[in-house]
Amino acid sequence: MTPFELAEPKTLKEAVGLLDADDPTVRPIAGGTALMLMMKAGVFRPSKLVSLRAIKELTSIEIVKGELTVGATTPLAVLEHSEAVRMHAPVITRALRTLSNIRVRNVATVGGALAHADPHMDLPPVLIALGARVVVQGRSGARTIPVADLFAGYFETVLAKDELIASLIVPAQDGRRAAYLKCTTRAVHDWPALGVAVSVAADGKAIKNASIVISAATETPMRMSAAEKAASGATDDAALRRAGDAAAAEAELISDGQGSAAYKKELVRVYVARALRAALGAA
Amino acid sequence: MRTIHFTLNDEAVSAQAAEHHSIVDVLRDRFDLFGARESCAQGLCGCCTVLVDGTAVSGCLYLAAFVDGKTVTTIEGLAQNGKLTPIQEAFLETGATQCGFCTPGFVLMAGQLLAAHPDPDDEEIRHYLSGNLCRCAAYPEIIAAVKLAAGKLRAGRL
Amino acid sequence: MATRTIGSGQVGRSVPRLEGAAKVTGRAEYVHNIRLPKMLIGKIFRSTVAQGRIKSLDVSAARALPGVYRVVTIDDVKTVIPNPLYGPAFHDQPILADGKVHYIGEPVAVVLATDPYIAEAAASLIEAEYEELPAVFDEIEAMTSAAVVHDELRPAGTFPDLKHLKGKKNTNIALDFHLRRGDPGKAFAEADHVFEHTFRSQQVLHLPLEPFVSAAELTETGLTIHTASQSPSFVRIEIARLLGWPENKVRVKVPYLGGGFGAKLYIKLEAMVAALTLLTRRPVKISLTMEEQFYTLTKHAATFRIKSAIKNGRITGRDCEVWWNGGAYADIGPRITQKSGFTAPGPYDIDNVSIDSYSLYTNLTPAGALRGFGIPQLVWAYESHTDMMARALKLDPVEFRRNNILRDGRAQATGTAMKDAAIEAVLDRLALRMNMKAPFDHGGGTVKRGRGIAIGFKASISPTTSIAIVNVAADGSVTLYCSTVDMGQGSDTANAQLVAEVLNIPAESIKVVHPDTDVTPYDMATLGSRSLYHMGHAVRLAAEDAKAKLAALAREVGVPEGANVPVAELFQKKYKMQAGNIIGTGSYIPSYVPPDANGLTPEATPFWMVGGTGAEVEVDTETGHVRVTKLINVADVGRPVNPRIVETQLSGAAVMQFGFTMQEKIELDGGQITNASFADYKIPSIVDIPPVMQNEAVESEQGSGPFGAKGVGESGTFGVSPAIANAIEDACGVRLTELPLTAEKVYRALRAAQGKPLEE
Repeated sequence: MTPFELAEPKTLKEAVGLLDADDPTVRPIAGGTALMLMMKAGVFRPSKLVSLRAIKELTSIEIVKGELTVGATTPLAVLEHSEAVRMHAPVITRALRTLSNIRVRNVATVGGALAHADPHMDLPPVLIALGARVVVQGRSGARTIPVADLFAGYFETVLAKDELIASLIVPAQDGRRAAYLKCTTRAVHDWPALGVAVSVAADGKAIKNASIVISAATETPMRMSAAEKAASGATDDAALRRAGDAAAAEAELISDGQGSAAYKKELVRVYVARALRAALGAA
Repeated sequence: MRTIHFTLNDEAVSAQAAEHHSIVDVLRDRFDLFGARESCAQGLCGCCTVLVDGTAVSGCLYLAAFVDGKTVTTIEGLAQNGKLTPIQEAFLETGATQCGFCTPGFVLMAGQLLAAHPDPDDEEIRHYLSGNLCRCAAYPEIIAAVKLAAGKLRAGRL
Repeated sequence: MATRTIGSGQVGRSVPRLEGAAKVTGRAEYVHNIRLPKMLIGKIFRSTVAQGRIKSLDVSAARALPGVYRVVTIDDVKTVIPNPLYGPAFHDQPILADGKVHYIGEPVAVVLATDPYIAEAAASLIEAEYEELPAVFDEIEAMTSAAVVHDELRPAGTFPDLKHLKGKKNTNIALDFHLRRGDPGKAFAEADHVFEHTFRSQQVLHLPLEPFVSAAELTETGLTIHTASQSPSFVRIEIARLLGWPENKVRVKVPYLGGGFGAKLYIKLEAMVAALTLLTRRPVKISLTMEEQFYTLTKHAATFRIKSAIKNGRITGRDCEVWWNGGAYADIGPRITQKSGFTAPGPYDIDNVSIDSYSLYTNLTPAGALRGFGIPQLVWAYESHTDMMARALKLDPVEFRRNNILRDGRAQATGTAMKDAAIEAVLDRLALRMNMKAPFDHGGGTVKRGRGIAIGFKASISPTTSIAIVNVAADGSVTLYCSTVDMGQGSDTANAQLVAEVLNIPAESIKVVHPDTDVTPYDMATLGSRSLYHMGHAVRLAAEDAKAKLAALAREVGVPEGANVPVAELFQKKYKMQAGNIIGTGSYIPSYVPPDANGLTPEATPFWMVGGTGAEVEVDTETGHVRVTKLINVADVGRPVNPRIVETQLSGAAVMQFGFTMQEKIELDGGQITNASFADYKIPSIVDIPPVMQNEAVESEQGSGPFGAKGVGESGTFGVSPAIANAIEDACGVRLTELPLTAEKVYRALRAAQGKPLEE
């Protein structure tokens, strides 16, 4: 790590003002767990870090008009243990339990987990399946972006360098059931080789419609529209398998140390069906 | 460089730290505390575990500047006047330490676990300790140590 | 594990570790903690080319960075060490690359600064240009490759068992070991069945949580090196040789190690910090990062082709060809090739054997000893092979083994007769604990279950020396001085128990002085499970010497024999005050006969280690995921000196090998390691280990060992890999021959077995 300047603004507006649209060496830092890794590896050498830790307005978990609103610097552990979150979308609570480790969850934040845009992160596919959106603050005001549209590529978001994620909004789930399955191939606890998040509207075991998202094996989290179509109207296990087959056919997968693309295609096939089964069995 | 003020193992302290220094750097270089050690440098092994305001963090990924105004507890702050805590005693008695390099992290995480779950089952123990690595692989003994410590702590509360 | 104490009740007792309190309070002493006045920190600039000539090295930007004290290259090193080559087998490894680089990650230059962050930033500013040369990475290709790693080889001539080393010019062969016994050709010609299989072990590494760390300082009398080393005596001798100094001007101090596992042997950073300290006249410390451990030492990848002749259910002949991937510098690879090589036929009674074992240079990180010293690579092959033959012959895997194992008195491949090797007892206890006679539920649906066993054995290193001193103070308190390094295996506690047993005092009352070559006497090294046996003997002898001298003192001061007068009173009677010492010394070296031209010797080893593992697995046939649900480790450790420590050694060794079996692999791309971090190289965590693990030391005595004991640090590793592979075949009918046993490999094998192979 090399020396840098550390700014500690007290308000969101002040923080946005300290960022620089044209200078990639100026970045916000909240929990810092991911950023510290990049700095230690020498792949990111900041000139200035803008700490969001002192900004009180970014740490809250509330239900507003039936929607769950989470401030961007809320630590993942706080989200994990929030009763409001568990009532609203228990899949988030379950997914967080498998995310990295307790020390990282104590420090890493919701906003960071999204802004880092690492396709191996667990929350993005879950939030996309739940139809979540983020409120983004820039110099000229705020805008809202569906999480599904947030990622521009590998470790890349659509945010400008002087924009900050201020909050996350998870809409009312209206009885939809969801599951997140994480498949690791090198150890039980590892970055996923494949993440599958699904959310279904169902009557008993009959699926009315499904949202199916895969991550980790792809450049960015991806919705599987052919699989969603195949799952819609599914009433038996064979139909869930067909959804898995459809996902395997449409997914564009990456070969890496966690497995070849050909193998991950088979994982997609199996895990999409398993995730749908899990969602149907979930609360 | 900046001056940070914090409470370290129950004592108010201040130290000079550069913005890019981690809390592990400061504990080692300014306070001669070596129990939190950088090993994997990725927050995965737990050797650098310290408590900030009572919550476990990976010290190697935690800027020293961020502890300003907070309370920091290290492994050296647990035993009072040479008297081991029940968790430390349990690690000693079950042989849950081999080379000892990872032990402070496991002891501190076991403390977090037992504060939240006074009578944990194997699954909960594994869940809490999954982010700590022991290359000597004293894992079965560590699980036994946590259970023994849980018993000692419960007995102490009676 | 049952307690079996003897005599004084000190041997056979689970004494808590003497240093336990220091470790649970974070106050144990490691080199990691050392800071010296005016100390400089070194950060290493490393090669990005696998084989090449250094055309230019530009350190100007690094030198210009404010805060940098000095940038050092090999030309600077040569001003203080003119011939800067070191190594235990060959003097092949330079302190910094000298004209040529031989692997990606090889140290090329060092930046010194008081601030480690500045040194690190400066190191990243160094630029090197290379003329790339052809490189070789695979051990089989290295046998015939036109790319030759070293132009010249200089045998070290240090160790008696490696005196014959020459190396073969214009090849990559550092050592070829050949053994011929009986008439294998005839056995194969007359066999009912002949089986031949080839197995591969991947490249993995030790990764102690305390990475390599060494510091050096000049004193008025010479050089002091503080180092996380398993071999302080070797470091002293080798540094003295490099400097042309007498041994007594070099002092090597070793506190506790944060893990070793064979990584911290011979010379690693010590020659570098010595050179840097001599150049700067200031203390220098180098602490490697976790990533840099990947560029320092690995375990040998190996290929093993094994062929067996079977007649009437007996193994009558066996051919073994083993190729060891030694990386760019030989380190101790040649000894592995020879000493482990001669056990390649396994713990089986086979009259006709041929072994060809090759230590090969390649353009990878050097490979050395790692918990088992080559044995796990061999057992992986021969016990997979054993099961494959039993399956093909429709023989019970336990009975097939029982019909073929070596029993005491029978000659092993070298011709050395087996003695105190409880192979049959290990097999029996393993079969019993695994309930191998009972029917087994192989599961249904998509999850299949299976079980498997494997046994292996190892020879100890020979001939090596250990020396110990026992000092009885005038108040009767006792201090042990020895150079065995406690790296977590509990040697301080075990050695204290041996002294305590002889002197009939509590082990907890004994102080063990850590290795300090100014103070503690010579020991070959802490490796290969040798310490409890070799140093154990020396310690016992030193204690007995002290005891005899105490008895003489009692006679001198007129105390009748058996009067049970406290030791303090004896000193008081002699010196009329609390004064004086009794010094007991002990020295041990076992006998050894070097192998003849056919690789045969009547005395290959002072003792044998035996270990076996049983595994139960569940295979998810939809994904290939394997869950090991039960792992049982049984070993012959002689008499357990400290049953609890024995158990943690068996269990810890088994889990380490479990990682090498299921998870760990150094991934390479053209010689470049692509997963040099804990994020991408996954060692076992608490959620990876099998939910059921049991460990057992069988009832046995090592007749020649101190109080019947022998080493235990490695035995738990032997059987793990093949036991799991055997269980996988039992579960789902597919056989893997290459480690690690990943889900993708299992899945691909399942698809291939269905005639629907998965595309690459």
